[in-house]
Amino acid sequence: MTLQEQIRSNRWHSVVLIGGFVVVIAILAGLLAVALNVWIGAFALAGASVYAVVGVASSRNMVSSLTGAHELPAEQMRPLQRLVENVSIAAGLAVTPEVRIVDDSAPNAFATGLTPGNSFVGVTTGLLQTMPKRELEAVIAHEISHVRNRDTRLMTLAVVFAGVIALVADIALRTMVYGGGRSKNRGGPIVIVIAIVGFILAPIAAMLLRMSLSRRREYLADATAAEITNDPEGMAMALRRLELDTTTVRQADSSVAHLWIESPTSRVSDGPTGSSALAGLFDTHPPLQSRIEALEQAGGFQLPPDLSPDRPFIETADEPSPQ
Amino acid sequence: MLGLWIALAVVALVAIAFVIGFNRLVRLRNEVDTGWSNIDVQLKRRADLIPNLVEAVKGYAAHESGVFEAITAARTALIGAGTPAAAGQANDVLTAAVGKLFAVAEAYPDLKASQNFLRLQGDLTDTEDKISAARRYYNATVMRYNTKIQSFPGLLYAGALGFKPREFFAADADAHALPQVDLTPG
Repeated sequence: MTLQEQIRSNRWHSVVLIGGFVVVIAILAGLLAVALNVWIGAFALAGASVYAVVGVASSRNMVSSLTGAHELPAEQMRPLQRLVENVSIAAGLAVTPEVRIVDDSAPNAFATGLTPGNSFVGVTTGLLQTMPKRELEAVIAHEISHVRNRDTRLMTLAVVFAGVIALVADIALRTMVYGGGRSKNRGGPIVIVIAIVGFILAPIAAMLLRMSLSRRREYLADATAAEITNDPEGMAMALRRLELDTTTVRQADSSVAHLWIESPTSRVSDGPTGSSALAGLFDTHPPLQSRIEALEQAGGFQLPPDLSPDRPFIETADEPSPQ
Repeated sequence: MLGLWIALAVVALVAIAFVIGFNRLVRLRNEVDTGWSNIDVQLKRRADLIPNLVEAVKGYAAHESGVFEAITAARTALIGAGTPAAAGQANDVLTAAVGKLFAVAEAYPDLKASQNFLRLQGDLTDTEDKISAARRYYNATVMRYNTKIQSFPGLLYAGALGFKPREFFAADADAHALPQVDLTPG
């Protein structure tokens, strides 16, 4: 597949997955309406909607505090700010997202926000200390791709939806199991059983959907980044460097795990696939190895297993780039 | 009766396909326009920086007039360029002239130590990076747009509705590396 085709197919899969979310929410409310009564179903639907809206609206500040991302004085940010500006221009974004720093020695980066205008890109100090300019540019391009493709918005929605489904299912399950005697059940025992099974399965399904959505987006962002920088090899090299690095982000809250370019929580899945097919279902990120392979295939090159040492961005930032 | 319905359905499908295709063309053309204005902003910024740079260098190396003239001429050509291709070419000429100026500056340690010069050099380098970033986006959108109006079914109606192919901004770096064959006698 060419990069363009990859982008298209990833996009199509994402549409299908979002559709799944909507169906699950509708089924849950429907089950509640049939098993208990219409008003409880309607109330659950309304409550879930309000919760979802509030969750989405406050997501930006939430991410900021969960990751500990903060701004630095403009003078210190200059070289990085310029890099982000250049990548944004190459991506065709009308506005350049803000840049924020996470004080962490593990190399990693993320992006968040509902629109490009209110998005920000977060990079760890570890990333600036490990990556040379070419690879840092690829990582930034990966994050800018998330912003440009509206992945950041999509993933915010997905995470909030998954949370809402889990909450609604949990409350419904408790109401039916513990409060079954008091409230009058309209359906027969079969409906109740179906409903209970539904309420158990829904959060699991939502979780799996959220994870697989996140994984798809990573491939897409890699492909888009390679297109923006016109350098698939640089992107692959950056991923290889992340793979060779063994540190993990300290503030690795699992609720924002999907945001990072490399999964901040689990290191197990970064090896070649084969540990367990089932375990992979709960990962937010595909293994780095298969992401590198996808880039190698699309770009038609072969990356050596080891990277040549290179000077990190933070050391070369103040020098004018070679003409 | 059935035949009539089939005919109507076919007409409706064709109409829908046309509307979708037309809207996509409009979107692509807008993207090309946005891409061009991104380049234009950076080209203007660059043209604005040049006189300051020339002044800064003149203070230390007033007798290098050949370099200054070349750079001023290149700047004028860039400002006057009417089409993307012409602007691209003028931009490349200017890049070469600026490169020469920086090479000249190497011989003047006082100039190289001047804060003003260093800041201008940094700003110019940054602008050049931004121009090449904007060029990448612009050329990619032009490619998509041109492909759309030159391939089926776009080519059936694109021309008639005023969708003209657009020019790329500057040739590839590779194209410049091609050997120039001079066939003029003597």
